[in-house]
Amino acid sequence: MKLPLSWLTSMVEVELSVDELTALMSLRGLEVEDVHRPGAGTAGVRTARVLHHQPHPDADRLRVVRVTGDGGDGEIELVCGAANFDVGDVVAHAPPGGSIPGMTMEARPIRGVTSHGMLASARELQLGDDHEGILVLPADTPVGIDLTEVIPVGEPVIEIAVQADRGDHLSVLGVARDLAAILDTTWTAPEVPEPAPGPTIPVELVTDGCATFATWALEDVRIGPSPPWLAQRLTQCGMRPIDVVVDVTNYVMLELGQPLHAFDLATLRGPSLRVRESTGGEELTTLDDQVRPLVSGDLVIDDAERPVSLAGVMGGLDTEVTPDTTRVLLEAAVWDPVRIRRTSRRLGLESEASRRFERGVDPQGAERAVARAAGLLLELAGATATGTDSATAAGTPAWAHRERIVLQPQRVRSLLGVDDLTTEQQAALLARGGCDVAATAEDALDVAPPSWRRDLTRPADLVEEVARLHGYDAIPSTLPQLAVRGGLTAAQRAEREARELALSFGFHESISRPFVGGEPFAGLVPTDGRVVLGNPLAQDASAMRPTLLEGLLQAVRRNVGQGRAGTALVELGRIFRPVEDDLARALDATVKDDWRWTDPEGGALPVQPRALGLVAQGLRLGDDWLDVDDRWSVYDLLAVVDTLVARLAPPGEAGWDLERVPVDREGWHPGRTAALHLRGTEIGVVGQLHPAVAEQRDLPEPVVAGEVLLEPFLLAIPREGHPPVPARTLVRHPSMSIDVALVADDAVPYASLEAAVRQGAGTLLDGLWWFDEYRGEQLGAGRRSVAIRLRLQDPDRQLTDEDAEAVIDRVAAAANEIGATLRR
Amino acid sequence: MSDAVPRETDTLQRLRDEALAAIAQAGDPAALNQVRVRFTGKRSELADVQKRMKDLSPDGRRALGQALNAFRAEFDAAYATRDAELASAALAARLESERLDLTLPPRRLRPGRPHLLTQVEQEMLDVFIGMGFQVAEGPEAEAGVYNFDLLNIEPDHPARQEMDTIYVDGFDDVVLRTHTSPVQARVMTTQQPPIAVVVPGRTYRADSVDATHSPVFSQVEGLVVGEGITMADLRGTLLAFSRALFGEDRDIRLRPSFFPFTEPSAEVDVSFDAPGGNHGWLEILGAGMVDPNVLAMCGIDPERYSGFAFGIGIERVAMLRHGVRDIREFFESDVRFVAHF
Repeated sequence: MKLPLSWLTSMVEVELSVDELTALMSLRGLEVEDVHRPGAGTAGVRTARVLHHQPHPDADRLRVVRVTGDGGDGEIELVCGAANFDVGDVVAHAPPGGSIPGMTMEARPIRGVTSHGMLASARELQLGDDHEGILVLPADTPVGIDLTEVIPVGEPVIEIAVQADRGDHLSVLGVARDLAAILDTTWTAPEVPEPAPGPTIPVELVTDGCATFATWALEDVRIGPSPPWLAQRLTQCGMRPIDVVVDVTNYVMLELGQPLHAFDLATLRGPSLRVRESTGGEELTTLDDQVRPLVSGDLVIDDAERPVSLAGVMGGLDTEVTPDTTRVLLEAAVWDPVRIRRTSRRLGLESEASRRFERGVDPQGAERAVARAAGLLLELAGATATGTDSATAAGTPAWAHRERIVLQPQRVRSLLGVDDLTTEQQAALLARGGCDVAATAEDALDVAPPSWRRDLTRPADLVEEVARLHGYDAIPSTLPQLAVRGGLTAAQRAEREARELALSFGFHESISRPFVGGEPFAGLVPTDGRVVLGNPLAQDASAMRPTLLEGLLQAVRRNVGQGRAGTALVELGRIFRPVEDDLARALDATVKDDWRWTDPEGGALPVQPRALGLVAQGLRLGDDWLDVDDRWSVYDLLAVVDTLVARLAPPGEAGWDLERVPVDREGWHPGRTAALHLRGTEIGVVGQLHPAVAEQRDLPEPVVAGEVLLEPFLLAIPREGHPPVPARTLVRHPSMSIDVALVADDAVPYASLEAAVRQGAGTLLDGLWWFDEYRGEQLGAGRRSVAIRLRLQDPDRQLTDEDAEAVIDRVAAAANEIGATLRR
Repeated sequence: MSDAVPRETDTLQRLRDEALAAIAQAGDPAALNQVRVRFTGKRSELADVQKRMKDLSPDGRRALGQALNAFRAEFDAAYATRDAELASAALAARLESERLDLTLPPRRLRPGRPHLLTQVEQEMLDVFIGMGFQVAEGPEAEAGVYNFDLLNIEPDHPARQEMDTIYVDGFDDVVLRTHTSPVQARVMTTQQPPIAVVVPGRTYRADSVDATHSPVFSQVEGLVVGEGITMADLRGTLLAFSRALFGEDRDIRLRPSFFPFTEPSAEVDVSFDAPGGNHGWLEILGAGMVDPNVLAMCGIDPERYSGFAFGIGIERVAMLRHGVRDIREFFESDVRFVAHF
């Protein structure tokens, strides 16, 4: 809402500078966004009377004009390109030395005639966009004085952001009233004429969507342009002047906050009006020449035969005021905010009127507003008033009803933490804001908010009103006495640790917008299921990500584009799947607790577990060190995942190892990709990108990627955390290392071989490491020999060669059971 | 035979002179060892002398034995000295050969960095945790009931439209949460006061991407509900937070505002002193006392309990603190950006 300062101060007295005023407004709930000064730069422009004009001797379209000078005396000659004025008119003359926005005047010859300055147009003075001719002021304007004494050209226009609940701030009067409350002073509304003696036309209200419908009938209306002062104010407020009737309705809406409509009375059939709710199946052509289909519930105004206005939103084309109109019916009505909002939303038609009705107009302001508009037209358009009427709903409609509010002053003090705000002070603050305040027997306040404050309906609203007018700066700073034990839960600490582990392996953290479009790269538990957005921002952001890997691959690509020789990124975040996705079954199988997010009725929301994604590409160390061949490999990702699982899983509990199951999946390298299974259910995938996919994505190989669900681990952590890790006994006797090599078909996974070794070594085993894999002709195709080093120890004695022999024999026996052989 | 002893003694004297000279000349441990073999080995002249000792008279044997011992003592001492000298020289040579130019930068094997948003989020959370808050979380694809209705944002409320909501297809009323406030409702509907939680997380608005707008952004929401919680408590909490994040010399101010879920509501500014003596205020968050409607709808008695809530944009805090000019940089995962902080 834009507020010309002269308009505002015509209703409330302000003794502050503009800077002081705007600073105070922002601290009291009138948030100032900007201060504009249209026309700023105008200086030394004065009113002048045209004394004589004649065609320029040397140019068809120019006139040589003589106007009065300083103080109305003397004569000044100048050249003018406009022809919309005559001898005797009062005009705005910018003489040499004066200026208009962006231009300083000097005497200069125009085709041989010296022009002493210029006559300014409304557009040049930023008073409007009329540039058909120069500004012609009313004939009774004093001559020879500074233009700013007539019109406040260049005055401050304060623009405020209007809060959603403060419809009363959508008018100059509303802001003036609030300023008066803030400044503890009085406000005055513009004067309006006495009602005309007669009636207007019959008006019938057959819906409770309208509380008041006030009308004035005018005759002998002369449609013409508005006077400069009115056009200026509309322009300052961002509206375009059109003709005096339209301008006056807009002017009064800006001034008082009540939207108005003007019918050409001659086009209304009957003439009579009927206000009703549409039952649908009809249509109306609105002022903007659009055919609007009506649906059940739309509020409409009919004349005797047809709809003529879409109530509160836009008038009808057939009955609008035209240049030929002489009889006008002015109307101001109070509509149900909810019904107006519904209609304007549906039609995508948010007008200045609907904005105000949606936020609630003053139900007692309609009669004043229509009288104000009538008064202006009597003055500016030579109109005569023939009738005044006001139809009101039988009884107050429920949406317009307001109860008095009982406020406990102690509650205000305790909620704000301001102990010394007395009951009397609170009552006085509320009264300043226009409330009717009475004391009750129980030291409470009985409050009736003013009709224009639709936002004040409950004690809480009054608490804010008291606090606001008292000033938020009066609220002290204390710290709450929190009777809770703060801190992260064990699961929240584990999530932080998961991130830090990945970072410690050299991965930088990525955060990407979790939208995808088209066919994203398939990560863990691949699916076609998508959580699709109803109103996506872009084609490539039409759904929520089903995997972290697509975003990570795009991020790596951007880094490759920057010339990086290697990039490793990790992202922790939610992935999104439909309710019935395979991922839901994976979570069901691997998470004990209820993992689903639901609405209050228990309805399932999209599946959205937390996952950790890794993508690494190219060189591990960059290309500026000697190890230029050290490239990221799948094993690097497995190392991260294994460490992660070891740290997140319950310490010492079996069944938390991830089994690596080789898979052949679209997009992935068929020989270098494994699904990660937790107790037989896939919860992750690790592998290398298929060379064709890497090339298609313009990513230099190798590109390795992995994704694992965190939910099965995080949700297994009790609030107090896993039990403390019990200490291990450190054996003092020296340990012994032995190597074994097991030969097996490729079908026997490493995990089985390791299990056999562990079984054979029994309690003597301290640790083991895989250290070599060998393939060769003597082993046969599809077979390999895996070498494993064991470290053995016994807490009670030093081990001997016999112990080693016994372990090797037992390992050989265990290997035989799984179809492997020990190489002797 | 009596001149045999002087002859052997002369031989020893010659061997001594030769041996000491050879020891002094030995340039490395191997050469020194050869000297030892040459003068004291089984085939040395010394061994010959010892073999011939048995032919001497008892007196002659005693005399020669003493001479032999003297030779041996002198040889061993000279040998040990030379051996130590050579070892010391070898160590010095090794140390010299192992000299590294430590003015060169190290190998570039570094741990990754957490994203700036993560760093700022954790720092913010840790400040509140220090004040006694717990941390709560909620889903990003959220039921409209939690995102709007339970927060006093009725279906027809203008605020609901102004939030530029992104809707999820295929559900009655599921949205990408427009703020982290729905977690307030989740906490209050499942937990009785006292409550003190902060809620970090990703949030969404249907905003086009530019330098200051992002359809995805992050918030830390705060909620305190208990008996006797005041707006002064809100102010004090936010003042402590602002000083922890921006500096002990900062101040805050509250300006009246409107949020459907708080009443009274406030925008909160933090003070700053720019170089050149500029003093001003920067808006950092929105806050207020929890609206009694919200408490009641969430099953908490508004007559007995009161509370405050606030919501802070993590990107905004990060941009103010670190001078990040373009919000898009947070979501591009450019390693130059991530590794910088």
